[in-house]
Amino acid sequence: MLENLNESHSAHEHSALVEVVKVTKIYPPDVVALRNVSLSAEKGELIFLTGPSGAGKTTLLKLLCRQEIPTKGLIEIDGNDLNTLSANDIQKLRQRIGVAYQDFKLLPRLSVFQNVAMPMEVQFKSPREIRSRVTELLEKLGLKEKKNKPAGKLSRGEQQRVAIARAAANSPLLLLADEPTGNLDAVTTGLVMDLFRELNENGATIIIATHDESIYQGSNHRKFELQQGELY
Amino acid sequence: MRFLTFIFTQSFRNIRHSWGVQLMTLLTVTLSVLIFSFFYLIYTNMLQAGAQLGEELRLTVYLESQLTQVEQEEFKKKITNFGKVEKIVFITPEQAFQRLAKQLGSDSDVLADLSPAFLPYSAEIYPHKDLGNLIRIKEFADYLKNLPGTQKVQYGQAWVERFGHFIKLLRFIVFISGTLLILTTMFMVSYTLRLTLYARQDELKVLRYLGATNSYIKGPVLIEGFALGLFGSSLGLASLFFIFQWIKNHFSSAGFMNLLELRFLPMPSSAIILLGSIMLCTLGSLLSIRTLLKK
Repeated sequence: MLENLNESHSAHEHSALVEVVKVTKIYPPDVVALRNVSLSAEKGELIFLTGPSGAGKTTLLKLLCRQEIPTKGLIEIDGNDLNTLSANDIQKLRQRIGVAYQDFKLLPRLSVFQNVAMPMEVQFKSPREIRSRVTELLEKLGLKEKKNKPAGKLSRGEQQRVAIARAAANSPLLLLADEPTGNLDAVTTGLVMDLFRELNENGATIIIATHDESIYQGSNHRKFELQQGELY
Repeated sequence: MRFLTFIFTQSFRNIRHSWGVQLMTLLTVTLSVLIFSFFYLIYTNMLQAGAQLGEELRLTVYLESQLTQVEQEEFKKKITNFGKVEKIVFITPEQAFQRLAKQLGSDSDVLADLSPAFLPYSAEIYPHKDLGNLIRIKEFADYLKNLPGTQKVQYGQAWVERFGHFIKLLRFIVFISGTLLILTTMFMVSYTLRLTLYARQDELKVLRYLGATNSYIKGPVLIEGFALGLFGSSLGLASLFFIFQWIKNHFSSAGFMNLLELRFLPMPSSAIILLGSIMLCTLGSLLSIRTLLKK
């Protein structure tokens, strides 16, 4: 039974939205991606998940959006144990989680606008609402002029921003960003971080997996460092 | 309402994206409906022809001897025990002789030295339209043969039996063709839609990541199946109608066809074919999406 996910989230409520308890993920035959990882994220919190490439950051984010299933351990999102949710409930949960994938997962033949609109269409938002929100996001990320261009014809940096816009489209309860600034210059990195801050101020819980020190150095948000699948 | 709008928009988008494959499937459905309906149309018109000819049919029962009034009433009662008849006329040898002379026309002088006595007493039975079915006529004839005092029953057995066999054969063909075409349509629609879904695997994966429910994914596919059934069967029936009109206009004066009043499929039959096609195509689309969603 899905709990709480339809309630609106207010900023800075002090209760855990994400609970990861002693999670281990082993890929066959014996590749240990994560070992006994435990962390939590409060509602309305922004946290950084840091570590070098191959540390297990992407694996952890995949577990949080139920793209992968942990070998051992417990993951709860807003009080819901992911292991016990039905297939339909998982889909409803995913509608409340925005994910900006490291490999973007855009549909190249669809336009920028259509890609960003997809999560809103899945939730049957009105065309007017979709148009307004998508235009707003594209403007914030400097992509307004590219809205009708097929996503497959964009540069990697532009595709990355489209993926971020899509993740933010539904003003999600939880936003997971995997290396969101990997292909961006300083200016566009600033645009992306401004968007994340705005979403966070509006109550979204954000987990950013990154090895880009420039975006978390000096920040007073919590950081979790992964090294070879374990938390330091 | 919004759900329906999205589903229809998505269906339209999908059809536009794979219009070539969808068109081929549409043509397959159209041809299947056309072929099946064509045979069914022939079958219904043959049945109609049989009924028509059955109405004009009369059975002649040759009697062993003249029947008294009481025996005639008894005879009539036994006949009507089988089924309703329009009328029963008892013909004496003299009346039969006069008829024969009339039929011979200018050659009737061959009867000049003959007496009517060589002709038997007979009864002409005009069956009611309930007995107009030619298969029933045979059963009626067999019944009459077994009545006491009956020598022989005549009604054009040979061609009626041949007609009956033809109808049976046609019924068999319609049944077999219908079954094969149903299977063809369903599997063709199922595999075509599965192909378009495989081509959209990436899109479906992304939709799943974004939280699209099974209804969101299944809906457009079912609509596509429905549309294939609706338009395919409509085109098939429309094509059949044009073919029917052409045949009627070009062949209605020729020989045997002149005896028939050709009729197109009645509305209920057309409606059943239409609804049946829609149902099969929608079922085909459901099969395709269920297989894919299981993976």
